[in-house]
Amino acid sequence: MTAPSTPRGIDPRGPRFTAGVTAILFLVVIALALLGFDTAALVLAIYNAAVFLWSAVAGVARHPYGLFFKAVIRPRLKPPLELEDPTPPTFAQGVGLFVTVIGIVLFVPFGSIALIVAGAAAFLAAFLNSVFAYCLGCQIYLLLARVGVLGRKGAATA
Amino acid sequence: MDVGTVALALGGLVLAATLLGFLHRATQGRARTISDARIVSIDGVSLGGRATLLQFSTEVCAPCKSTARVLDDLAARTEEVTHVDLDVTHRPELASRYRVLQTPTTLILDADGTVRARIGGAVRRDVVIAELQRVLAA
Repeated sequence: MTAPSTPRGIDPRGPRFTAGVTAILFLVVIALALLGFDTAALVLAIYNAAVFLWSAVAGVARHPYGLFFKAVIRPRLKPPLELEDPTPPTFAQGVGLFVTVIGIVLFVPFGSIALIVAGAAAFLAAFLNSVFAYCLGCQIYLLLARVGVLGRKGAATA
Repeated sequence: MDVGTVALALGGLVLAATLLGFLHRATQGRARTISDARIVSIDGVSLGGRATLLQFSTEVCAPCKSTARVLDDLAARTEEVTHVDLDVTHRPELASRYRVLQTPTTLILDADGTVRARIGGAVRRDVVIAELQRVLAA
């Protein structure tokens, strides 16, 4: 069976709330870039990247929006039907970090279009995750592993 | 770009994302009958006497757990049907060999280990039961 070294489970609604906030923030990045506020768009993209970095490294259980969900929203909801392994959403945070950093780096030569394209990709993943419970790891992990980017022993998750 | 155009662009993006979401959801859990059947043989995996539900999972796959529960339960209720949950997180060569692109992916094997059906994404109980009955009847 799976789950060899599973950490404690988390409320699956936490990552979906987190993804919803992230999706809205990427819409704001795109709006700022389209309106010509390039510096503001860049700063917000860097902020998003920093949050991704934190939760990809510290684990999604320590995600700041997740902590807000746990402290403020979760007490008002019914308890979840079951808890989930935090590994899949933590992997998704790593993917989000990668896409956002690409946008930030390409901003230097190409300008705001890089933030718009990377922001749209990040929005799409976060929106699908939040609204449709889309599982990014399910769709792209094996693609990356099969071309050898991930999956060799010791380098499992981002 | 003026504010109205930007609002329109963002609205279009949200609409496109919503359509993609419904499209993706519609493809998940569908069973595909396999015609160019091949025999599955994986070291350390023993097959069921009449059929095997072979599930491919990874550590970064949340719906793999619920799929494993459904398949485990169906295997327990059906004589000589085995559920095998194969974690390919560190074995991408197995994923390549069986052309697994997403997890969970479930292959339904007959008594000989020949692949008869393939289900991409989280399984639906009624779909698995229908496919399993078809394989067991053959």
